[in-house]
Amino acid sequence: MTKVFFATDLHGSEICWRKFLNAPGFYGASVLILGGDMTGKALIPIIRAERQYEVTLQEHRYVLKSEDEVQQMERRIAGHGYYSVRISRDEMTELQADPGLVERLFQKQMQSTLEQWMALAKGKLEGTPVRCYVCPGNDDRPETDEVIVKSEAVELAEGRVVEIDGVEMISTGWSNPTPWETYRECSEEQLTTRMAPMIAGLRDPGRAIFNLHCPPYASKLDEAPALDRELRPLQAGQLLRPVGSTAVRDAIMRYQPALSLHGHIHEARGVARLGRTLAINPGSSYEAGILQGTVIEIDARRGVSTYALVSG
Amino acid sequence: MSEATGYFVRKATGLVRAWSAFDAFIYAFFSVNFVTLGMYIMSFGPFVPQGHLLPAAIITGIFVTFLVVVYGGLIATMPRAGGDYVWQSRILGGGIAFVLAVTGWWFILWHWVPIYGNILSVQFFAPILATAGRGDLAQWFSTPAGIFLSSLVVVAFVAYYIAIGMERYAKIQKFCFWGGIVALGIVLLLLLVGTQGQFQQAFNREAARLFGASGDAYTQTIEASRKYGFTPPPFTAMPLGPSILLIPMVVFYLLWPNWGATLYGEVRGASDYRRVFKGMFWGLWITVALSVLFFLLVAKTMGWEFYQAANSNYWATIYAPDKAPKLAVPLWPYPALLAGWLVDSRVFQVVLLACMSLWFWGWSGTVFLSSTRVIFAAAFDRVLPEWAAQVSPRSHVPTGALLLMVVPSIVVSALYSYYPGFATYTLDATLVIAVTYVGSVVAATILPWRRPRLYQSSPVARYKIAGVPLLTLAGGVTLAFLAFNLWKWVTDDTYGVNNRQSAIYMLILYALALVIYLIARIVRARQGIDLAKIHAEIPVE
Repeated sequence: MTKVFFATDLHGSEICWRKFLNAPGFYGASVLILGGDMTGKALIPIIRAERQYEVTLQEHRYVLKSEDEVQQMERRIAGHGYYSVRISRDEMTELQADPGLVERLFQKQMQSTLEQWMALAKGKLEGTPVRCYVCPGNDDRPETDEVIVKSEAVELAEGRVVEIDGVEMISTGWSNPTPWETYRECSEEQLTTRMAPMIAGLRDPGRAIFNLHCPPYASKLDEAPALDRELRPLQAGQLLRPVGSTAVRDAIMRYQPALSLHGHIHEARGVARLGRTLAINPGSSYEAGILQGTVIEIDARRGVSTYALVSG
Repeated sequence: MSEATGYFVRKATGLVRAWSAFDAFIYAFFSVNFVTLGMYIMSFGPFVPQGHLLPAAIITGIFVTFLVVVYGGLIATMPRAGGDYVWQSRILGGGIAFVLAVTGWWFILWHWVPIYGNILSVQFFAPILATAGRGDLAQWFSTPAGIFLSSLVVVAFVAYYIAIGMERYAKIQKFCFWGGIVALGIVLLLLLVGTQGQFQQAFNREAARLFGASGDAYTQTIEASRKYGFTPPPFTAMPLGPSILLIPMVVFYLLWPNWGATLYGEVRGASDYRRVFKGMFWGLWITVALSVLFFLLVAKTMGWEFYQAANSNYWATIYAPDKAPKLAVPLWPYPALLAGWLVDSRVFQVVLLACMSLWFWGWSGTVFLSSTRVIFAAAFDRVLPEWAAQVSPRSHVPTGALLLMVVPSIVVSALYSYYPGFATYTLDATLVIAVTYVGSVVAATILPWRRPRLYQSSPVARYKIAGVPLLTLAGGVTLAFLAFNLWKWVTDDTYGVNNRQSAIYMLILYALALVIYLIARIVRARQGIDLAKIHAEIPVE
């Protein structure tokens, strides 16, 4: 029997990443699986003035007078899942005028943060029997994979079959189209095509784990606030709509894996039975520094024996 | 890629623009519900003979504002968490949270079903049937069989809302909101332009036409009340002390503005907190303002003494049938029905009542929605069995949660309707939810010390008064307010819940929740799941 801890959608939250790495000791898990969307969504400039720094966080302006205060603020920003960068006023003006520059800065910050995360993982997991699998999601740039591949403590799971104590797992972080046109989106047909070779490579799909970032359509694991054309939630977010993937649902219903793991829709935390498949989306509360996840005991012969959604 | 004040965001899923604060207001406003809950509980005013509803509503509004600050803070700190159960679990622990939330948002809502049924009976079936000339059928709806049938209609409708899902229910709610607003506007307009003389004439006319009353039914109503022992005080008499005693009744409708928005942006801050706060704040205070306007218009056109006397007479027929005066209009004095009589047209009156019932139909889904959320959350935490959160793959209906709500609700409705004395137990409905609120408010009050990292990362952390967190201060005031209400409920006969049977019944509900939790802990421990760790924080370092 193998105890697995699965979490997803950390979106740059260093607190959540550290908790994720500590989860094996806390829950007694021997396998860590991180679903997609590791990288952050926002970049907070810390602007250098003459003898101080200025920063606006959560719409509140802070003046930082010492290096100690700046470092403290950087940790706080990282805790939210945002990236921070120290720049001058002139550089801020340049950034505001050039979206391409912002994009490059994001890329640089993401890469350096991920490298730090991989170093943290090495420090925590090296020499332990814990295996850690990561599959970037639709919000993660393609370069994310290169950083993970270089890691000695973390394995990239995207697009391949991984064997966990006799249980096979396939993974993809690609999703059906979203209104944000993110990095790893494709049509439902392409998603089916993307999963097909992995599924074909499974000895027994009925005993496998499908680690698919996008949840199955109309499973309650995919209910998100409906948006208008300007991406404003309708009716104060009370109007929920299924936005999951029909390709993912079809694959689950056809092959009936023992377990399917999902993320993508942070507010749709839950568990669903799709035929014989136990489907789980643990949701995400990364911005509050709460690591939502699921602890699962799985066996190659008997399938899932226990599971629990946790908020660590 | 976009640039906003002080930060840059990239293209990423879920980065939405700010939602409409007005939409958030609609949900809070509809939850408080001036018509269904408000008008219903206002009719109990004569139970505190010297009290006045107007100051009671304003004072309650002031104190519930602190509750809004607290819940706004909890939403900002743990967004999308889903409410009391998750907040309390994180801050106070899973056991306390389960007992309080399950009792307050599941078990006690079984008891709200017959209350909803009663409201449906007196605000929809009875007045419409009476207006259509079927006074006999209208009165049947106040019999045990009539109330039970109304409760079954509530169960059927609410189950339907759950079955069709939030998207379609939200659309129905919005339609009902606007339709209900128009209808209420007409009622208030009728009261504004009508004179007391016209109202007396209309009341006497309809009492004679519909129920065969003779003579000056308006004056007879006031005299009957005096003979019964209740002399309605004039509108201008507003003594503070007795009016404060009405607060534990008024909270029956003003305590729920926090049922509104729980949405919160991922990369914004204080403006989201303010938006959540404003939605609930205005939902509360527009209702308070409506209440004040309503009292003024009732006093002007119906006459305050008549309104109070009609209410007193009606409840006397329920609670003291032996001594009760004979009613000229043997129906609950629904203000919309009475105002509609100012227009001498059957069709107009029926259409107005039907439109006013949109307040009920749009709002009624709330009785099971919160329960469904708590049942789902507890099942995901493995405290309840998995089938409790099961959703039919074909119909997408949460069959387990519906079963856990529908079956006990029907049993409770039957007991309420047919078993003498059981109805008093449902008077605990507000009390038990208030106890659940106490749990969340305590959690919010101690949050800055109990979970400092969580609190510090929240935009509410910067709001302080004299160095004390606003959340803690508002929590303290709210706790005092809730404590006052709880104290009055359990010690004062006026509110009908301070009897031994009621206390035992409530304790049984809490004990049942505790037993379920303890059994779950033992069973799950045998399965290798430590429920104590479900909400425990993983160390960061």
